[in-house]
Amino acid sequence: MENRPLEYDYTVAKMFMFTTVALGIVGMLIGVILAFQLAFPELNLVLGEGLAEYTNYSRLRPLHTDAVIFGFTLSGIWATWYYVGQRVLKVSMAESKFLMFIGKLHFALYLVGVVAVVASLFLGITTSKEYAEFEWPIDIAIVVVWVLFGVSIFGLIGIRREKSLYISVWYYIASFLGIAMLYLFNNMEIPTMLGANAAGESGFGNWWHSVSMYAGTNDALVEWWYGHNAVAFGFTVPIVAMIYYFLPKESGQAIYSYKLSLLSFWGLMFVYLWAGGHHLLYSTVPDWMQTMGSVFSVILILPSWGSAINMLLTMKGEWQQVAASPLIKFMVLGSTFYMFSTLEGPIQAIKSVNAIAHFTDWIVGHVHDGTLGWVGFMIMAALYHMAPRVFKREIYSKSLMVTQFWIQTLGVVLYFTSMWIAGITQGMMWRAHDEFGNLAYSFIDTVTVLHPYYTIRGVGGLLYLVGFLMFAYNIYKTMSARPVEESELQNASPMGA
Amino acid sequence: MFHWLEKHPFFFAVGIFVTIAFAGLVEILPNFAQASRPVIGTTPYSTLELTGRHVYIKNSCNACHSQLVRPFKSETDRYGHYSLSGEYAYDRPFLWGSKRTGPDLMRVGNYRTTDWHENHMKNPASVVPGSIMPAYKWMFTNKADVETAYAEQLTVAQFFSVPYNKEVPMKDGSTKVVKMGASIAEANELALAEAKVIAANMKDQDVKDAVAKGEIPEIVALIAYMNSLK
Amino acid sequence: MNIAELQAYGYFALVVFLVIALYSYIYHLYSTDKKVGGHDYEKFSNMALHDDLGDAPVSPISDDKEK
Repeated sequence: MENRPLEYDYTVAKMFMFTTVALGIVGMLIGVILAFQLAFPELNLVLGEGLAEYTNYSRLRPLHTDAVIFGFTLSGIWATWYYVGQRVLKVSMAESKFLMFIGKLHFALYLVGVVAVVASLFLGITTSKEYAEFEWPIDIAIVVVWVLFGVSIFGLIGIRREKSLYISVWYYIASFLGIAMLYLFNNMEIPTMLGANAAGESGFGNWWHSVSMYAGTNDALVEWWYGHNAVAFGFTVPIVAMIYYFLPKESGQAIYSYKLSLLSFWGLMFVYLWAGGHHLLYSTVPDWMQTMGSVFSVILILPSWGSAINMLLTMKGEWQQVAASPLIKFMVLGSTFYMFSTLEGPIQAIKSVNAIAHFTDWIVGHVHDGTLGWVGFMIMAALYHMAPRVFKREIYSKSLMVTQFWIQTLGVVLYFTSMWIAGITQGMMWRAHDEFGNLAYSFIDTVTVLHPYYTIRGVGGLLYLVGFLMFAYNIYKTMSARPVEESELQNASPMGA
Repeated sequence: MFHWLEKHPFFFAVGIFVTIAFAGLVEILPNFAQASRPVIGTTPYSTLELTGRHVYIKNSCNACHSQLVRPFKSETDRYGHYSLSGEYAYDRPFLWGSKRTGPDLMRVGNYRTTDWHENHMKNPASVVPGSIMPAYKWMFTNKADVETAYAEQLTVAQFFSVPYNKEVPMKDGSTKVVKMGASIAEANELALAEAKVIAANMKDQDVKDAVAKGEIPEIVALIAYMNSLK
Repeated sequence: MNIAELQAYGYFALVVFLVIALYSYIYHLYSTDKKVGGHDYEKFSNMALHDDLGDAPVSPISDDKEK
């Protein structure tokens, strides 16, 4: 035993890889169901009249967003952290019993949280705030899980052998701090069991119910400061952390400009937080905040593209790898989608564009080309890269990966194109007036016209889900594929036919 | 200096935190000092209305319906006066929504009736042909949770000085008092009195029977809330 | 001075500070690798490329103690 050389210990990474795949399937499946419910409302009764309350669109909708954000994406972030963190700090989890324990506890509590969230959302226990639907007992559990994540980050940093922190670690630290701050402030709430009447009686009603500390406009302001930046620190920052590690590693190419990556980091940190106001254009929040939200959204193109261009240029002179390796394909298309959605977002944040786009499906399309094209592709690529190293086996099938890549790309394209058309069509119809100055369309006209686009979107989503199932199968089969030697794992991942 | 920061994770993290916290500090915090005052005519939610608001939230109505009329002609034509900040003074949480799969509901109480809602919630397509909204039949049998609404009333009155049992100015110069029960029994009575008014305008015999027995189905509370949105 | 004015000054001061900080950071990044005893930032890329436990760290933690 004593002579065995020290190795990186991927126990915790493996656990989170499992939840990434499992919750990804759950979240995307619910998403596909929702998409088809909008096209074919009969599907609200998919399990019959008796269970209609639980299979109904409105009950499932928060489950979909939370399953893909807090299930799939968070698991992916943690799976990669427990992998990348050790490697770039050159320290193994096996060297610290304490950190190993923290890591496992982190996973165990996370699982408990997942169960609680699923149960409560099915029952309709929600605060109604988007991506912060959980009531206070779950909020407290989430804070504990988050603190454990922090302990794990700074614990590992504390025992590192590498003095300087790699850029990915910067991004992981930023995710941790950003979400911690946002989540705490947005979820300030008072449990209603504290409310006492004149007779001094209290504790009425459901013990888990709470009321927000903020009212009306202020509540909206805090919620979208959170909602927007949860996207920043959940869907952008940690995913950038991933690509800065996995793309250079898989391709064997150094980052095109490390200095540019550092500059973009600080730029992103400063600018992102201000842009939250663009969710509230033409609402009742002060005008200057709305304008600031617009302006900063446009400035945000700079640091976002700084990172994205840096990633694409990393492949300079090595573009044949894109053709040769499906794993590189995923990452290059991911960063392309990142560029694309970080340009689309600022366009939608321009006030006059937002007047049409807000409240329509164009926004939904924007979210999904970011999440499906960038977040989803990058997390799957990361797991594909990790699997051979974690299981010491080659990836089960390269051809399956290629097929999956094209099916999902087609899915994403169908998704966002249909939602663009749907959104702009609806936005224009809402504002159309006839020659006498009356509204040209009643609301229902603007709904029925969307049916074909909703159907196309459903098909796009279904294709993506099919691709994801292929991914899950490929990872599953990798666990029993041909064992590989350490030397095969240097850069490009070994893949079977 | 920069390189030193990069090598010291603690101070580095502090640096990141300061950078990201600045926006919140300058942009959001000062605003709380001037939290919006209610406009004249805005009243706190009555017990049954608040119960209905919980039903609205429980079923994530806000996932498809906004409650925010933007200042455009097309929106004021369709939904009524654009929203004012003070109208939301008692909304905890806010329910602006982010997607209008269905129409805005900010002022739905102005142009829809109890009867319309009843038919609509049972079978949306029967009132709005082509509607893709699902039916909410379980609301006709599920019992509303008045007690939690009462707890919330007590909480907001206690912590945020929401004016229950106090005179609130109305647009026509008169005042109105929104009552909150002194005990849970009184709260139930207040809610039931409101429920009877709603049920009188409804057709569903089971709902009428339930209210006559002193029970309040979710649909009654929800309609009370919808009617209060003006 | 009311709160909105304070906000405006705070905002302005912050933007000026950050612009100065960012530009001096750029200057620092590009000047330091020319200086004697400076750091070549590009070599940090190697932290990802040579990340086996056996690989030599790009800047070992013991550096500090020697100085």
